[in-house]
Amino acid sequence: MRATFIVSCLLFLLAVAYWLGADQISVSRLAGGVGADGMPKLLAVALGVLSLAFATQTFFQMRAKKLAAPADPVKESDEPANWHQHARAMGLIVLGGFYILLLPHLGYMLSSMLMLGGVSFYAGLKPSLRMLAFAVIGGVVYYLIFTRILGIPLPSGFWPRLF
Amino acid sequence: MDGLSYALTALTTPTIVLSAAGGVLWGILGGALPGLSPSIAMALVLPFTFDMSPLAAIIMLTSVYIGAEYGGSIPAILIRTPGTNAAAATVIDGYTLHQQGRGGEALGLSLVAGTIAGLVGLICLVFLTKPLAMVALYFTPPAYFALAFLGLSIIAALSEGSLIKGLIMGVIGLMLAMVGTDPLSGAPRFTFGEPDLLGGIDYIFVMLGVFAVAELMNKVSTPDDGEGSVIKNTITRMRLPGLRKMWELRRAQTIGTGLGIIEGPIPGAGGTVAAFLSYNEAKRWSKTPEKFGHGSEEGVVAPEAANNAVTSSALIPTLSFGIPGSNSMAILLGGLLIHGIQPGPMLLSNRPDLVYGLFGGLFMANIFMLILGMLVLTPCIWLVNRPKPYLTACIMMVVLSGIYSINQSLFDFWIVLAAGVVGYVMRRLEFPVLPLILGIVLGYMIESSYRRSLLLTNGDHIVFLQNPLSLGLLCCAALIIGLAAYAEIRRARKPQDMHG
Repeated sequence: MRATFIVSCLLFLLAVAYWLGADQISVSRLAGGVGADGMPKLLAVALGVLSLAFATQTFFQMRAKKLAAPADPVKESDEPANWHQHARAMGLIVLGGFYILLLPHLGYMLSSMLMLGGVSFYAGLKPSLRMLAFAVIGGVVYYLIFTRILGIPLPSGFWPRLF
Repeated sequence: MDGLSYALTALTTPTIVLSAAGGVLWGILGGALPGLSPSIAMALVLPFTFDMSPLAAIIMLTSVYIGAEYGGSIPAILIRTPGTNAAAATVIDGYTLHQQGRGGEALGLSLVAGTIAGLVGLICLVFLTKPLAMVALYFTPPAYFALAFLGLSIIAALSEGSLIKGLIMGVIGLMLAMVGTDPLSGAPRFTFGEPDLLGGIDYIFVMLGVFAVAELMNKVSTPDDGEGSVIKNTITRMRLPGLRKMWELRRAQTIGTGLGIIEGPIPGAGGTVAAFLSYNEAKRWSKTPEKFGHGSEEGVVAPEAANNAVTSSALIPTLSFGIPGSNSMAILLGGLLIHGIQPGPMLLSNRPDLVYGLFGGLFMANIFMLILGMLVLTPCIWLVNRPKPYLTACIMMVVLSGIYSINQSLFDFWIVLAAGVVGYVMRRLEFPVLPLILGIVLGYMIESSYRRSLLLTNGDHIVFLQNPLSLGLLCCAALIIGLAAYAEIRRARKPQDMHG
């Protein structure tokens, strides 16, 4: 619940930032009475009001919970759930980020092999010959499907320079 | 007669036939994989529809939906794990039948009941779309604004227990829709000097992120030892029921089909509610209610008929008013908009070829479901038995490859990954996803029709109340929001009353 309260505060900050961003939009006579910044400002106000309402609601819920069960340290330590799990989940995004950075340099096939091997390892598989075969064959299959059959011009990396 | 010729043209066009077959095949495989919902299966296929004709693309997306709703029943019957939420009711009697050595029969019943219900639902869709499209003549910019506002008000019904959370997500969706060039003046908004953002944020990237990437993040958050959900020795041969058997089960079939058709267009209801409702009603009206829960055939037929009937009737509000009532329909709506098709009251008069072609495609998809449902059973069981890490890696690669196929831009990857993080956080904090998607999809329509209406009246807001259609739609929206707020207040007071 504490995490929810923090999120509601962050949403309020987002609303303020969005308003400031909307204020930077250049005004044009073509835009009509409302203007290009009209709707964004309205949305910023809406998010601001809603996030404050949400924060208030969460605050009262926290207080009610505290009054109902003042000595319940287990529940409190449960929040925010399990940070280790969240860190693992974010690890997939990091892998995705590496893929994006490597793709233009290594080319689609090799990057795909690394990604397939990396994700299956990260998701819990132990390194083995079978996993290696999965990554290599998978990379080739994806290359054949997307580049050869579907004709999508995926990055070829440094390979063309070698031949 | 023109409609029939459009449908027949679709039925005889090889690319359309292939799209329907491919969509159903992917849908069945996707639906059979626990955790891969119909909406995720549709989102994964969306980038590959870019180079297709609009009709082929839409038929492929709806075929995935149809296939996935059936596919979900395969693991539900064989391994007691519903592949989709809507298949949860099938587990009760389907799995019991499997334990009794009648798994093949249960799968056959599920397939035939689903096909019949899908076809009956399609007939309803055909007959209802035209009368609804008649109101198209009365639509002006204020009415379009009111329609989009009504669409947004559905957020209240889809907020899954917290109206504020739903509204916040809807507003964030609208905020994202503001990114890009202003539709009236051409001024750039929130682009931060990035040329890739001038065209706005494509719905498809947000959908892929919040549905597919967030689901994969959720999967890897707990490591899997690689054994997957393996269930050995369950290779079952499907046994299709005969006509006499289906006649015996007509009551459950009718209840399931009827409730599915009614529930489909209702926002937030969908296949899951329809399946459980029809299971309950089938039990109530059954001559042998005591068999329910102990391997009743009616207990399989009713929910399967319901969740397949929903696949057709859920299209009614999406096509006629451009209002999606579920995640799957939001993705279909995104697919339509990506191909430059504006669903809504004018769709039937502007693009009859597309609407009637889609009906032809849906007919084909239901027939393909019957054929492919029998053929792909063994591959489905094989796929469900693969270790989860392999599946996670393969799905991640499909997502990453699909993103690049759209704009050939590396920038889009970052948007999808960012949307994935947002989707994951939303899921953990129990924020509903659909309002965000609705906000992004309806953002352009709501802003442009609002501002155009005010241009016509020099900024006088009374225009929204003078137009009877606009007034009626706004009243409906107010009613929906009011009822949701009332329910929220009652829910909030309940625990206090209990304490008091």
